[in-house]
Amino acid sequence: MKARRPLFLSVCCWLLAMPAMLHAELVVVVNARCGVAAMTRSEVINVFFGRNRQFFNGIAVEPVDLADAHPDRQRFYNSLVGKDLSDVNAYWARQVFSGRMPPLARVASADEVLRWVVSHPGGIGFMDSTKVDARVRVVYELGQ
Amino acid sequence: MAIFPNPSRIRAARRVAGVMLLLACLGGSLPSRADDARAFSVQGFGTLGAARTTSNDVEFVRDLSQPTGIGNEWSAKVDSVLGVQAAWRVAPEFEAVVQAISRYGSAGNFRPEVAWAFVKYDPAPNLAVRAGRLGTEFFMLADSRWVGYSFLTVRPPGDYFWYLPFYSIHGADVAFTVSLGDSLIRSKAFYGLSNGKIPLADQKWDIEGSPMAGLYVEYQSGPWQVRGSYANIRFENDLPLAANLKQSLNYDLKPAQAAFLSTRNKLTHYYSLGVLYDSGPWQAQLMFNHIRQGSHALENSSGGYGLLGYRVGQVTPFIGYSWIRSREKDRLVTGDPMADAVTAYVMSDSHSDQKTTFAGLRWDVLRNVAVKAQWDGIRGDENSYFPYRKEDRARWDGKLDVFSLTVDFIF
Repeated sequence: MKARRPLFLSVCCWLLAMPAMLHAELVVVVNARCGVAAMTRSEVINVFFGRNRQFFNGIAVEPVDLADAHPDRQRFYNSLVGKDLSDVNAYWARQVFSGRMPPLARVASADEVLRWVVSHPGGIGFMDSTKVDARVRVVYELGQ
Repeated sequence: MAIFPNPSRIRAARRVAGVMLLLACLGGSLPSRADDARAFSVQGFGTLGAARTTSNDVEFVRDLSQPTGIGNEWSAKVDSVLGVQAAWRVAPEFEAVVQAISRYGSAGNFRPEVAWAFVKYDPAPNLAVRAGRLGTEFFMLADSRWVGYSFLTVRPPGDYFWYLPFYSIHGADVAFTVSLGDSLIRSKAFYGLSNGKIPLADQKWDIEGSPMAGLYVEYQSGPWQVRGSYANIRFENDLPLAANLKQSLNYDLKPAQAAFLSTRNKLTHYYSLGVLYDSGPWQAQLMFNHIRQGSHALENSSGGYGLLGYRVGQVTPFIGYSWIRSREKDRLVTGDPMADAVTAYVMSDSHSDQKTTFAGLRWDVLRNVAVKAQWDGIRGDENSYFPYRKEDRARWDGKLDVFSLTVDFIF
């Protein structure tokens, strides 16, 4: 019985991972050289809502967002804060038109997010986990 | 009173209108380039609104900057607005921002004006310094009062914001953020000279050049945001009472009255406390303010509001309650009954004592377009005159319903 436990556990893990394989999860990635290993949900929220503009080690964050039309944008904000894009856009309308801060840079595809994160020392973005490569580090996983 | 159009002002207005048009055209053809560190971007916001009340005894205004208001016929006057903003990132840490806005304002028309024009400098990631013509955050959310798309209700609750006719200063502010892991502390301090005029009957109260200063500290943790703020203004000029009284009552204001009702060099203090809760489909706001007026002509007041909204699909119904109550000040007693009555009349003009229940819904019909409908049930004392326009004191009973429809958009 005891000997079978590792096998049983690995089958369970595999079963649990099944949905993620069918529909890859979204992850938050940073430039692999920025020195950040992991972030909490609140830290990710504060960065993507423009509230905190530096990592714990003092490096300035350079977040990149996706265009409204990209389905991952809705998935990202929905699982991060449970908000519809209209709410997110309304929040940014307040920040921008009160002159507090400019909107986040936006690109059209996951490939461009990857390019942004790799080419900016404080780059941070979100993408489908299948797009991740060695030049970036996953610091937060959003799940489905 | 006929105000002769000043040719230089008309030229200035045309220039602003031209700039707005140019910016709007550029906005259509120049997508902001994310990768361009010297990015130039143009964005805009607007509201097409219609509102009416159930009474012609007073005219309802959105805020004190509007010289006339609306009665029981539908009007697009009080809520409609168009704003265009251009931002130019000159260098990674320098940004220049100009916003032009057209709305029904103190001049009694929709003449476009430059709302803000400033340079922002970020010496460190969590430190920002701005200088130029800036929006003031006297109260939480006060610097985005015209961006209808950014909030849930048709307009910011009047009982809370009515006493705030100030929109911009010529000055500077400093904002910084301290990260405490998952939570944040943010603070901002500003100082500048106010810019603008406040309509008062047929005259204008010139507050231009009045020094304003303020500070807030805010704590954000998860869905919670709590802010305490203090601000003050030292008025540069007296209210235009002498001209108003001469015109409306053919009364000559006496020196003792003028001195008693003077606002010049009087300091007004604004205190506020706000709590926001924003989580998933829930949005809630609770705000309190207290205003201490340095002049006898303006009563001290306390106000507040609560707002709760819950999103279902693309529709967010909301309900809220707001209140304002001002306190009478000691009257002037000179022994001349006529003079004392006139002084009391002037002082009563800033009295307000009312509660408003409001309910409505925001429907996000398209990406970046929201349609809103709202009812405000204002239930006040019959001597609650502030900030209405053209009140018929004999008929006004303090009760008014306001119906509003708006289409808010950003582009």
